[in-house]
Amino acid sequence: MSFHYRISGLSVASELALPGAIRVADPLDSGAEVTVRRVREIAPVAAPQILGPNWAVDGDRFFLRVPRVANFLITAGNDIAMQVEQGIEESDAVVFLLGTAFGVLLYQRGRIVLHASAVLVGGSAVLFCGKSGAGKSTMAAVLNERGYAHVTDDVCCVDFDGKGRPVVLSDGRMLKLWLDAVTEIDARARKGAAVRSMIDKFYVEPASPLRVSAPPIAAIYALREQRAPLEAGIETPAPLDATQILRRGLYRARLMATMGLSATFLARVMEIQKQAGVHYLTRPFAMAAMPDTVSRLEAHWRSLGLIGTGG
Amino acid sequence: MSGIVWLASYPKSGNTWFRMLISNLATEGDRAADINDPDERMSIASARLPFEDVTLIESDLLTPDETDILRPRVFEALADGSYEVPSTLPWRNRRDWPTILKVHDAYTLTPEGEPLLRAAQGAILVVRDPRGVAPSFANHMDCPLDRAIALMASPETTFGMLAGKQSLQMRQKLLSWHAHARSWLDQEDVPVHMVRYEDLKRDTAGVFHDAMHFAGRRITRGEAERAARLADFARLQAQERAKGFAEWPSRRGFHSFFRRGEAEAWRSELSREQIARIERDHAEMMLRLGYSLVEREAI
Repeated sequence: MSFHYRISGLSVASELALPGAIRVADPLDSGAEVTVRRVREIAPVAAPQILGPNWAVDGDRFFLRVPRVANFLITAGNDIAMQVEQGIEESDAVVFLLGTAFGVLLYQRGRIVLHASAVLVGGSAVLFCGKSGAGKSTMAAVLNERGYAHVTDDVCCVDFDGKGRPVVLSDGRMLKLWLDAVTEIDARARKGAAVRSMIDKFYVEPASPLRVSAPPIAAIYALREQRAPLEAGIETPAPLDATQILRRGLYRARLMATMGLSATFLARVMEIQKQAGVHYLTRPFAMAAMPDTVSRLEAHWRSLGLIGTGG
Repeated sequence: MSGIVWLASYPKSGNTWFRMLISNLATEGDRAADINDPDERMSIASARLPFEDVTLIESDLLTPDETDILRPRVFEALADGSYEVPSTLPWRNRRDWPTILKVHDAYTLTPEGEPLLRAAQGAILVVRDPRGVAPSFANHMDCPLDRAIALMASPETTFGMLAGKQSLQMRQKLLSWHAHARSWLDQEDVPVHMVRYEDLKRDTAGVFHDAMHFAGRRITRGEAERAARLADFARLQAQERAKGFAEWPSRRGFHSFFRRGEAEAWRSELSREQIARIERDHAEMMLRLGYSLVEREAI
């Protein structure tokens, strides 16, 4: 294996370069927890228990197809095989490996995966969740620029520490930002390769990398665009709504159900909700409004005791 | 199996108004449905969420053509009930009623040669005089009228494609105004019930009643009349003035979404030259749909 990474707390040995993941300088000798391989062919899952339009589950094997791009087989929470379609560059397919395929692998390991970005605030993780396009990555990137260390982007793997507190398994993956966000937050110097050759979205090295391995979760914000009749601000939803936010915030929530994890998961989701506050963050999309949003967040963090009153 | 019925239209042809009529079937007493209740991003065929829920793939990591390859599978999952659009609206979750789903896409083929929108059991196609569409389209796109007229004439016109940034929805091929209408009227996969915006203005309850019956929702005449009253254009405008409209983000500035809603307003909004250009661009389809050409008569 030529490449070694730590992704969502797991040591990964890979035959392929995984742009977007951050390499580990000294790989463990004892063998990686996850292997990533390139294969010439992936046999279809013979007798799937659950069949989606482009995916199939058979016990601990999960088959995923990205049409005209690649096929993936994720097995037993410790192996991902990728077969790239003819005429496609490997680098054009890897983004799906780090996204959906790795998400499947984490679910196979029984981990809770939120579709969220996260930054470090006073030693704790603050999460931003929301559907695609809600601004999770941009929010994290702007806070990185302000010195809040990067915890994760997109795939946020949650575990519980020895004291039963929910923690984020630090990810070590780069931000993925659309070109307009790269330009607006002036991160051009740290802009890496495009996530795919045909798409104007780029890997961006975080401005402030993380040096803590599993920070406890202090707050979870559901991002909402300020659209009529909503007003900009932070509000704390009723407990039932908070549960709904977290359930919808699960990474590819349907995966969880297809893998028979629902009951256990819901109990743990409730536990996350109990220990880490869930809030709505409603703000205008325009980048010009970002300073106001950051001030509002910092005021909230002071009120939660995450940062000192000095700033 | 509850099925889906498309509510298909070129943009600015009364689709949102029609959906407000449907929403008002579910309210009680004299209470009008809130214009901010229907969630645009979920209740349109180009929404990202159902796509990602069904395929497990992040839509903005795919090219528009790659998303088109998978979109028919998403519509099938919606049609056979294996996936349900998350919704708070009670009428949408009534299992004996088909889901009525807004779509602006033209009826096109995917890169694999498969019809993109075949999964529905029917389509209500709302069409509007292109001379009425143009001023409203310009308002929507925040562009000059001449630009809107050019977009409506171009076979390349799309929604949901922004350079360098994410668009709210996935790419939708609109085609030109006439090619859009033709794509729906001339396909043979999905039965079409055509509604002219102008007829809906003239006899809202009657036209709405018949369209709902086509869609498998057997509403009474009285229910249609009540919905027509509650979703009256002036009432929709009043709601927008009071609270704003979520489908019309504040970044669009001061223009309002519910603009005039008058079928014949174009006569004062367009120049003779603009009217002539629209009629030249779309004459054949306009005549097919019963829109007479004024400039041709004049010339």
